[in-house]
Amino acid sequence: MLGQARNRLSRRWPSPEQVQALLPHLDSFTAARLAWRIGGLEARNRVLVAAIRQAGMDWLRPLVRCPAAFLALRPPLILGMFHVGTLNALGPALERLPGPVLALREGGPLSLPRPPVEVVTPGDDAQSRAAVFYRLLHHLERGGFVVLALDVAPGPAFQVPCLGRMLPLARGPFALARLTGTPLVPLVASWGRGKFDVILGEELAPDLPPGSTGGPDVWENALATTAGRWLEDYLLATPGELGLSLVRTLLGFTGGS
Amino acid sequence: MNDGAAIEEAVRDLVRSRAALARDRSDLPDELPLGAGGLGLDSISLAELLLDCQRRFGIPAPVELLEGPPLTLGRLVAHVRHVAGS
Repeated sequence: MLGQARNRLSRRWPSPEQVQALLPHLDSFTAARLAWRIGGLEARNRVLVAAIRQAGMDWLRPLVRCPAAFLALRPPLILGMFHVGTLNALGPALERLPGPVLALREGGPLSLPRPPVEVVTPGDDAQSRAAVFYRLLHHLERGGFVVLALDVAPGPAFQVPCLGRMLPLARGPFALARLTGTPLVPLVASWGRGKFDVILGEELAPDLPPGSTGGPDVWENALATTAGRWLEDYLLATPGELGLSLVRTLLGFTGGS
Repeated sequence: MNDGAAIEEAVRDLVRSRAALARDRSDLPDELPLGAGGLGLDSISLAELLLDCQRRFGIPAPVELLEGPPLTLGRLVAHVRHVAGS
């Protein structure tokens, strides 16, 4: 049974049963349609990545629509992304931020970043990741934007509830927020009729009881839990934004374990 | 205790406060790596340890130590003694 599930996950299209495992309120027909959409989203994102690698971002820039709230952001600020919708369309949006942007991206930039955006890659081991972490921290202290994915955790992570499963979120962004006192705001992008829409969340706040005396880990975990809840609310409202990698991640963790 | 010895002891105390594996150890050899294969500090704990040194001794965070070979207790102590003592 486990092998069967693994085989299904190795394909591009998730099964309707897998979609229903995350969104049990959906009937079979709706789950099948959503599974098909998730596969389609994955295929379009692969085409987008290939196009950016081949042709750069010039063609993409006019297609990315940023809400006024995004353009009004002021540093220092941490923008935390999730692998939903179309993450790679966010590159041109970051160029419009009013301040220096340091973005963390596994594997480096898809195309040469344009100022004020600079891209760093996380290291392969704890020590090189610590050097990158310190660089991000220093960038925030100097009044910049830091942009990074919350749901990629090569290093220390928190397990937070999301869609009835446990989702690993990297500890780094939450530690950066605590150490620098910088707000953390969720950021995603969505495909929309030949354009790409940037979607900005509200500033995340840790859900702690009044007078809580928990240590740094407790504060960071509470902030991560809020981030997981934001993602869950977003996906319940727009399930078609659920990405294949997130489906895989969520199904790799069973609730309560 | 001279300044150098006091700095060394203070750095060792900071390491003990960050690394569970070091907490109850009186012997912390200089060649002990702070990360993998030694005290096992993760990336954030390593960065916070350098911030601890920055705050405790009023020195710039010794980030350059993260860019070389695996950071050992001896290298950290030597660096802090050198910068804080000069």
